[in-house]
Amino acid sequence: MQKKILLIPLIAFLLISLIFFYLLIIERNPNNIPSAILNKNVPIFLAETLIRKEKFNSSAEFGAELVLVNFFATWCKPCADEHSNITRFKEEKNIKIVGINYKDKPEKTIKWLKKLGNPYSVIAIDKKGSISIDWGVYGLPETFVVSSQGVIMFRHVGPVTDEIYKKISLIIDSEKKNDF
Amino acid sequence: MIFKNYFLIILPIFFILISSFDSNSVEPGEIIKNKSLELRARKISKNIRCMVCQNQSIDESNAELAKDLRILIRKKILENNSDKEIYKFLTDRFGDFILLKPAFKLNTLMLWLFPFLFLGLGLFFLIYQNKKSKK
Repeated sequence: MQKKILLIPLIAFLLISLIFFYLLIIERNPNNIPSAILNKNVPIFLAETLIRKEKFNSSAEFGAELVLVNFFATWCKPCADEHSNITRFKEEKNIKIVGINYKDKPEKTIKWLKKLGNPYSVIAIDKKGSISIDWGVYGLPETFVVSSQGVIMFRHVGPVTDEIYKKISLIIDSEKKNDF
Repeated sequence: MIFKNYFLIILPIFFILISSFDSNSVEPGEIIKNKSLELRARKISKNIRCMVCQNQSIDESNAELAKDLRILIRKKILENNSDKEIYKFLTDRFGDFILLKPAFKLNTLMLWLFPFLFLGLGLFFLIYQNKKSKK
């Protein structure tokens, strides 16, 4: 009996080691932080649009159709890298894309878009980064899928690679089916 | 030889001393004039993770987002928001991950209670072994 009790710490240690080992070998990215704004309504915000210099009201832009939201800046290299895939969403999925231009110079952004193409239906200027804080954005580029009910369904931090493009396309396809 | 021994003692003390310096990245323009409010802002900032650098608080980080959040916290304090309201504002957007000290919740129960559980277990075995060896 006494000897059996002494085995408990050893078993506990082995169990903990097993848990650690399991966490070590399973495929998980510790940089993937659980998002707090998933399944929530889009934040309400006002801004100015980049090209037409009109008022951007989030309440008017979201909630009517499926929307892709892309936070980008011209000074962010991965944003230029993913741009072709953002354009693919426009061309292949015919989805409304809202761009949020984070802390950038408008004339620089316009030049950048002329060079790379403009897939965005509308671009809101986030001059001071307050819109990005409301969306919980911490690393550019970031891409969100907003349902036709105005609920954030998906979030991706980092550039939209071909693999992520496929992932988001599946979400768009299934959501479009649901809407019909 | 004696020099080597001294060195081994002085070196860790030196590192402990420099690591305990209160290093912060708060810029002069950000500081609130009211000292007690500024202290509140500093206290909150020290518990808010810089989402860009992740192992630094926004009080220590030079990242742009950290600066924006420091300014935001000070703005909220000046708008008479309570600490709780400010924490809620931040966790609603960035999740519990933004807190350097994890909240005591159902999903963090293990994290908080395991050390005590193991301390209890350790003490139990220590006393148990002691008693046995006395016999």
